[in-house]
Amino acid sequence: MTDSLVFRPITEMATVLRNEEIGAAQLLRQYAERIERLADSSKAFISLDLERAADKAAAIDAQAHSGSQLSGIPYACKDLFDVQGMVTTGGSKLLSDNVAQQDAEVVRRMDRAGAIFIGKNNLHEFAYGATGENEIFGTPPNPYDPTRLAGGSSSGSASAVGYGLCAAALGTDTGGSVRAPAALCGLVGFKPTFGRISTEGVIPYSWTLDHVGTLTRTAADAAILFEALVPGYQKSEAVRLDGLTIGIPEAFFFERCDREILDSVDHLMNFLRHAGARFKPVAMPSMEYTRTVSLTVQMPEALSYHNRYLEQRGELYSQDFRAGLALGQCLLAEQYIRAKRFIESYRRDVNAVFDEVDTILTPATPAIAPLIGAVEVMVDGFAEPAGNAITRYTSFFNMTGHPAITFPCGMHSAGLPIAAQLVGRHHADEALLETTRLIEQAYDFVLPLPDLK
Amino acid sequence: MKKVQQQTLIGMRDQLGGYAWQDAEISELVDPKLGIITGFQDLLDQLEVLRKIDLQALPPAGDIPGE
Repeated sequence: MTDSLVFRPITEMATVLRNEEIGAAQLLRQYAERIERLADSSKAFISLDLERAADKAAAIDAQAHSGSQLSGIPYACKDLFDVQGMVTTGGSKLLSDNVAQQDAEVVRRMDRAGAIFIGKNNLHEFAYGATGENEIFGTPPNPYDPTRLAGGSSSGSASAVGYGLCAAALGTDTGGSVRAPAALCGLVGFKPTFGRISTEGVIPYSWTLDHVGTLTRTAADAAILFEALVPGYQKSEAVRLDGLTIGIPEAFFFERCDREILDSVDHLMNFLRHAGARFKPVAMPSMEYTRTVSLTVQMPEALSYHNRYLEQRGELYSQDFRAGLALGQCLLAEQYIRAKRFIESYRRDVNAVFDEVDTILTPATPAIAPLIGAVEVMVDGFAEPAGNAITRYTSFFNMTGHPAITFPCGMHSAGLPIAAQLVGRHHADEALLETTRLIEQAYDFVLPLPDLK
Repeated sequence: MKKVQQQTLIGMRDQLGGYAWQDAEISELVDPKLGIITGFQDLLDQLEVLRKIDLQALPPAGDIPGE
């Protein structure tokens, strides 16, 4: 069992480590060997610190087991997170000399839980984009098909876990940048209730929409990370699928979607029905202007942060990010405030939906992973920019701030994973994770591992 | 609402303050040639629709209160 732990969930690795069937140093070596072989092709990392990781693993092995399920577990984080002594590039040439003076709060928390930091993941420059394309550090491919995108903006985080180069990764999710790449790569992507996980020490993109999230193999693993990352974690009260009321949006979230994705979600719904769950159609707010509202908040906020660099180093941004920042300068203050008022309206409307249901179910994405370099994807006969399609079902919940999780539920005939998304009430993160864990445990679907030969 | 003109945005840049974007970058917002930003006019049109919706006294979104 200890020969190939790298694709096992943290729950299993933790047992093996606790029983001393393998040490933290030995586990780290399994990952290090794979990183040596696959770091270039996966384009998952911008920087590595395996020396510091080896020191920590040796220190863990020399002590009695702490009891933490993350003790000795190797993880990585998107290169927006500060790690003391390492450069935080944001995936950009701009910050090639930006050495962090201290760890981000979440890195400190992972360290305290005994997790072993191994490196910083590639991303779409400053998280501006959902395709994960990066002209400086390369575009991480999908572990199931290297001609296709891992998705973004936490592209390297998804690629690193998907290629078996670390057990879990931290990312940021402003419109789906954790959940969408996790979905495209056959992983579990979780973003908590807005504000529950600290963003201190993380380069911001949009303060109103940014969430720190996790990419793991299972929902049970996501719960382990969440417990370590969040202050005031409270174990979920008992959750049962029998009697669970699941909201199904009446419009938008099942429209213009790949037929095989709809079939997979339908299969999942049949399973849930047999398990005793009830389905209820729910009226969500109109989605007609939600992308406009989101952009109107994002771009002035991004500009406001990046203004500190524009005068001295502005030419080092990529052309598309500069164009987005220029747009941010041409919006009016009242338009920005109005957009934030619409966000409040969306939040209240969705809270009202949660008076009727326990959770909301949607497909995670309307399309499978697009080809690398594709500007548009065809979904159900409609052409759509690839980045918009990837995040079409996820970005709304960044505005409402509800916790949301994507998890594998099928395999497409093109050989790529299909995922569903569950959304929970504000601050019911623990219950959402537990619901997903129960589904994961009982559902008769097992995602095949990627063929990385 | 009239279509936004390059000169309007150049005037905003020069007269209202802010970062001195190059004329070509301003031009890309109103007459996209590179295809980087293609929807600025659409965005403005949609914002104008939203402006006409009465939100009464609804405040902007802030933090999400804990339980």
